[in-house]
Amino acid sequence: MAKLPQDIHQAQLTLLLAAVMGCSQVLDQSVSLASERTSIERTYELTKYLDHQLKEIRDTYLSYLGPPFSDRDFSPPRPNSSSLSLPSAATRVDLWRGLENGVRLAQNQRAYTILLCAVKELASSTLCPYLQSSLLHFCSGLSGLLGAISGLMNTLGYTPPSHGNIPPLQGTTPIISAAPAPNDFSRKVEGFWVLRELQSWLQRSAKDFNRLKKRLRA
Amino acid sequence: MANIVTSVCCVVLAAVVVVYAQRRSQQGARIQYERIGSDVTMQCGSLDTNASVTWKVNGTDVKARRREEGSRLVLMDVNMSSNGLYSCFQNPDGERRDQINLRVGLPPREPQVTCRSNTYPKGFYCSWHLQHSTYIPTDFEVNVQHNQRSLEVRRDEVHKNRCHVKFPELFSSFPYRVNVTAVNALGRKSNTITFEEFSIVKPDPPEKVVAKPIPNNVRRLEVTWSSPSTWPDVENFPLKYFLRYRPLIRDQWQHVELSDSTSHTITDAYVGKEYIIQLAAKDMEIGTWSDWSVAVHATPWTEEPKPITSTTEVEVLTDITPSPAPPSAKPRVGVAAGGCSTLLWSSHLLLACILLSIMW
Repeated sequence: MAKLPQDIHQAQLTLLLAAVMGCSQVLDQSVSLASERTSIERTYELTKYLDHQLKEIRDTYLSYLGPPFSDRDFSPPRPNSSSLSLPSAATRVDLWRGLENGVRLAQNQRAYTILLCAVKELASSTLCPYLQSSLLHFCSGLSGLLGAISGLMNTLGYTPPSHGNIPPLQGTTPIISAAPAPNDFSRKVEGFWVLRELQSWLQRSAKDFNRLKKRLRA
Repeated sequence: MANIVTSVCCVVLAAVVVVYAQRRSQQGARIQYERIGSDVTMQCGSLDTNASVTWKVNGTDVKARRREEGSRLVLMDVNMSSNGLYSCFQNPDGERRDQINLRVGLPPREPQVTCRSNTYPKGFYCSWHLQHSTYIPTDFEVNVQHNQRSLEVRRDEVHKNRCHVKFPELFSSFPYRVNVTAVNALGRKSNTITFEEFSIVKPDPPEKVVAKPIPNNVRRLEVTWSSPSTWPDVENFPLKYFLRYRPLIRDQWQHVELSDSTSHTITDAYVGKEYIIQLAAKDMEIGTWSDWSVAVHATPWTEEPKPITSTTEVEVLTDITPSPAPPSAKPRVGVAAGGCSTLLWSSHLLLACILLSIMW
């Protein structure tokens, strides 16, 4: 007779614990989902802000380069990949649509890692101090974006690609060619393309994060 | 009976002969295009330069300023009235030797070209037109270049001066170059425009705009609409909307910008006033706003039919119903946070119940 209340007592305790665990887990999930959506939203806003900032910097940079770069509608041919290893934002619609969340984020991360280095190099070779400080300021925004993307990948449980996949960043192979006696014009063309590709990526990323937001909500 | 059949046959035969003769007479005519204001020389067939011919235009004598040099007719300073069918008859037998359909016009000037994508990301279309008429048939050649490649151009079946191109890729860093050349018998002229993918994106206006009064709410109107049917993928390429509304009696619009939502409730309408409402759409990130949609009219719900009176600012104060916070435009995070707190509260309740049951 004395045993029965104890059994009931134990069962009730177990139930209580289970309920508490269940509640906290559900709480955790909904909180983290909400925070992920917030961080995606924030990353989205950041890309739009950087896109807007880049337009101004690009205009200044193109007038700094002078004609023909400062001419409207001027578009030099893209340097071949041996001298410039820029990631292209261009893709087929069907491929872009079907990207897995993790792959989508990884592509963004890889692109901005390379582009950040490229813009840093651009800044260091710019002779105009105002332009140089604008570019460096922009770099800090870009690295903030990179941090946000990496953070997102961690929260969503996607392993960031091993550093072996990304070309060495620590200055051994510069993104912009430092080939023997680089042609001044070809260096300008490379600078043009760094900023052009960056613009395309920022426009693409905004749509990437929008897509991610929707997929996570589903 | 036989007589009727014979007469019918005769009539049909006569008609055929007439048509054939007419056709034949026109077939002989060749078209000669000449520039307005120039001096035009017309040669009578393969006759000798010294041959004597008589010229007629549309069956009558040629009255315009001219010089007749043997088998050639030179018209001076031609204009639109010089147009006509010129025939030359050899003297003295009067046999017709040649027929020339003279068409006077101008060489083309630079065509105006615009391109737009209302079906992003599928493709874009380009339209062109000549600001000044050439008065003679003019054709157009279109060429589209992207990343040093020529893209396939499909001419529109309905609109003569329009063509369609598919986007070869998305988020491209290379510009598109569209070259349109106007060609006619008197010359050719071309125009090239260059643009980036994102700059030409402009959706069609939203469709099926419906504005309804809400029963028992004198200051509200519910507006719903759908995305333009030409926009192929609103799921992956969402649109944002711009709603504007004003009472008919006022000139100033009120605006609301909405992201990715196809309904909105206006909560500050003047009581009993008829409103005009319009919507525009834009891709969330790129391009420009669409044209305004068709305007819809609606009046908020009132208890009994009121005649429309001239409104004053005082009328606003007579409405004492408090308007709660606007719905739909809230960021989605707010909804999530709200759900969170409800969950927290219910879990506390559950804990309390379990504790109570244990103590009981």
